[in-house]
Amino acid sequence: MKLSNYLIILISIILGFCIDTFINQFTVQLFIELNFGFLIFSYWIFAMPERFHSFIPLIYGLVIDLFFSTAFGFNMLFFVATSYVIHLYVFRFRIFSYFQLSVFFAGSSVFYIACKYLLLSPLNYSYILLIVSFLTNAILWVGIYFVMRSFRRYIFQVT
Amino acid sequence: MARTTPTYTPVRNYAIGFFLSTFLLFSDINYESFSELRGTVKAATLYVKLSSNRFLHNIGDIFSSFQESNNLIQENTNLKEEINRIKTQNSLKNIETLQRSKMLDSFKDLVDKFDNNIDIHKIASIDLKNYLCCSSHKIFLQNPQKIQIKENLPVLAGGSFIGQTSKQYLNLIEVILFSDSNHVLPVKSDVFYCNARGMGKPLLISCSPKINIKDLGSKIGDSIYTSGLGGIFIKDTKIGFISDISMDSAGELEVIITLLGNPLKENFYGIIGNLVDET
Repeated sequence: MKLSNYLIILISIILGFCIDTFINQFTVQLFIELNFGFLIFSYWIFAMPERFHSFIPLIYGLVIDLFFSTAFGFNMLFFVATSYVIHLYVFRFRIFSYFQLSVFFAGSSVFYIACKYLLLSPLNYSYILLIVSFLTNAILWVGIYFVMRSFRRYIFQVT
Repeated sequence: MARTTPTYTPVRNYAIGFFLSTFLLFSDINYESFSELRGTVKAATLYVKLSSNRFLHNIGDIFSSFQESNNLIQENTNLKEEINRIKTQNSLKNIETLQRSKMLDSFKDLVDKFDNNIDIHKIASIDLKNYLCCSSHKIFLQNPQKIQIKENLPVLAGGSFIGQTSKQYLNLIEVILFSDSNHVLPVKSDVFYCNARGMGKPLLISCSPKINIKDLGSKIGDSIYTSGLGGIFIKDTKIGFISDISMDSAGELEVIITLLGNPLKENFYGIIGNLVDET
């Protein structure tokens, strides 16, 4: 894969985090925290596991930490860990239904949110937020899956 | 029969990445090792954003300069900004008047200092996502003249103190708000003194006075003032009111204070300089 493709993928992840930043300021009052950025990253690992091992997620995490995070290393840690877990079970995911995939990725996303609150903002930790976010991110995953799949096929000319 | 899928996932590289990022995260959370770097990147991003906004604004001006209403709109905007500026200056004067009436003689020197050391800055950005959800409550103020601002100076907005300067990046000043969970403000009411810590929620700080709830004597709605014990803020300035009184799980009294200064409603902020000897 060319460097430009890695950059396109990075831009798509950054865009996801930008959307998060913009939308979550309104939705957090409704106990909803959307996680576009993390789900888009997960999609790329899920869709092209052979292209991403440990180094690329580390670099992506570093960039995201620089621009979006309040603690350095947080996204690096989660990107590497998520990448490892997805790599371990990537072929099993192939036989999963959309529902099962949604549950897995929404669960990962909620784990990410929970750790973010526990580590960086424990005073605002809320189980209601986690439960509602799980449901919304599960629905969100389906949308991201189809949109990103079309985008991937368009960018990488997959037929 | 194999129970795992035949993927090649060498754990060593992941483990290195995992430990590296854990180390970075630990050092940043505990020692703020990368706060300078993060602040600089944030300031640079804001700088680019403001510059591009200005550039787009200028282009917009060129296109709309042919319209007669453009001048009126501009004038209106300028007047609005001027009103905001005057409002901030007025609130400074109000505090000044209040202090003057309370302890005219002892405060005289300080009032003189006020006149020379108040810088009005326009807001550049507020980290709204964190402000509404998380512990970190910071705003950035514009500083186009790149005036050297000391750390920990009191910041005013909307007639009340709202925080204090923390750092300076490029031509932006970072201000930590009272509601940031890392900020502690010595406050007092008519009956108690305590150190109020930010709750990580908009406009809320809390403190635990070391007295019994029976002896407290305060009630919801009572005013809270700065105590001046921290050496940063002038004492007896109203900063909020008691919005809740409760006992926490450890049996300690907890007083929740709602702040008066709302950073979401203010455009201009006053930084009071060189007040290191006010106590």
